[in-house]
Amino acid sequence: MSNFFYVAPEQLIKDRAEFAQKGIARGRSIIAAIYDVGVVMVAENPSASLNKISEIYDRIAFAGVGKYNEFDRLREAGIRWADGTGFTYAREDVDARALANFYAQHVGDMFTEGPKPLEIEILVAQLGNQFRSTKLYRVAYEGTISDEPNFAVLGGDAETIKGRFAASETTTQTLKTTLQNAINALAGPDRTIAVADLEIGILEDRGNRRTFARLSDGEVSEILG
Amino acid sequence: MGLPLFSAHDDPGPSFFRFAESAGLSKPSAADDLKLAHATTVIAVRYVGGVVMVGDRQATSHYIASRDVRKIEPADRYTAIAVSGTAARGIEFIRMAQLSFEHYEKMTDMSLSLEGKANYLSPIIQRNNLTSPLVVLPLLAGWDLGHQVGRIFEYDGAGGCYERFDFATIGSGSPFAENTLRLGFRSDLNLDEAIDLGALALYEAGDNDPSTGGPDFVRNIFPMIVTIDATGFNELSQADTGARFAAISERRTSSGGFAGGTLR
Repeated sequence: MSNFFYVAPEQLIKDRAEFAQKGIARGRSIIAAIYDVGVVMVAENPSASLNKISEIYDRIAFAGVGKYNEFDRLREAGIRWADGTGFTYAREDVDARALANFYAQHVGDMFTEGPKPLEIEILVAQLGNQFRSTKLYRVAYEGTISDEPNFAVLGGDAETIKGRFAASETTTQTLKTTLQNAINALAGPDRTIAVADLEIGILEDRGNRRTFARLSDGEVSEILG
Repeated sequence: MGLPLFSAHDDPGPSFFRFAESAGLSKPSAADDLKLAHATTVIAVRYVGGVVMVGDRQATSHYIASRDVRKIEPADRYTAIAVSGTAARGIEFIRMAQLSFEHYEKMTDMSLSLEGKANYLSPIIQRNNLTSPLVVLPLLAGWDLGHQVGRIFEYDGAGGCYERFDFATIGSGSPFAENTLRLGFRSDLNLDEAIDLGALALYEAGDNDPSTGGPDFVRNIFPMIVTIDATGFNELSQADTGARFAAISERRTSSGGFAGGTLR
């Protein structure tokens, strides 16, 4: 004879949310912020090869926190989706909002129907042009999608970091200022983060079709001055 | 198209071509009776600092369909790809190659090696040419960043990939271009000599092959000339290209249409 235990949906959601939050809180946070001519993403990441920030398409970038294998699979799916869409239609038809919605649906499905929720939060950033505006879409572990106006923070410590960054940056700044504010906000008042432990990617128009660039340690030191 | 997620065992990896096939974006071709000549001449010549490529601009069906086609395109910053054969397949092939190299780079955060790019194209050519009469034959040239040298890869109809250490030609004007290159090629050609030799070989092909377009002084349309060296893919300006073909044409005129006993 088998036993069926009733679990209230409220309880189920609460348990799953707690599980996902715990997993995400184990990793370091990421800040993505819009500066005067682009978008910068800053992650604390001691690994130089296991990236949290990545290029998706000409004007779209990806950032993920939490379990690496889980968000990296979504990163790969995003590149496939973008290249496939651009191949089928045209490059300008590849839109970050559509991709963020697909991510939100998948992450949301996994949260309610999957064997376990994904322990990740992801960000889709889009650099604007004459057809589209600059956008930061944040997708949380339960599939909530939010359109963040000026900056977004992903990860366990998001609220604290958000407060620190918002206090230091009230208007759109240059790359140098935004980058410095982001690093300070990630580090907090009690510690500093070495440049070698940072992973930084930008979306900026530099005369090429592809706008994504990784900043090397040397470039970051030079920008910070 | 939905979000293309794969489980670990059927994941197509960083190959865009395998993904496109699995997603139905690129359908295997159905054979039919339509046969089109690969009316084209594209030349690649190695010189000490890289590779020079020269390609004619004419698209031919039963008549001249277009006079300003670009048959050489950058596949990425350090690689040029040219096609001969059916135009539709050629364009699709170039798009597939361009997208594939970029796709690989984004997926793995590393660029493919030049040899990796050359080998990647083989099965795509093989699949197209062995299942369809709409044949396409590419020519790949690039700057090998790992070995710091310019390299040329040509293909046979079944997708076989062969590296050429001197020069390579594709298209219906090949015999004439090839003969010129055989007489004029040295392993120590400098950039200027390689460009002039390539331009002369194309001039010969345009002069003898009805499906290869030579310099068009009436419309100011000239065969395109590109160089691939340590700085990457560079296309010569129309003025520069025009001046080189005008010089060849003047020499020919002065010697009554013959090369005049020297290779010029």
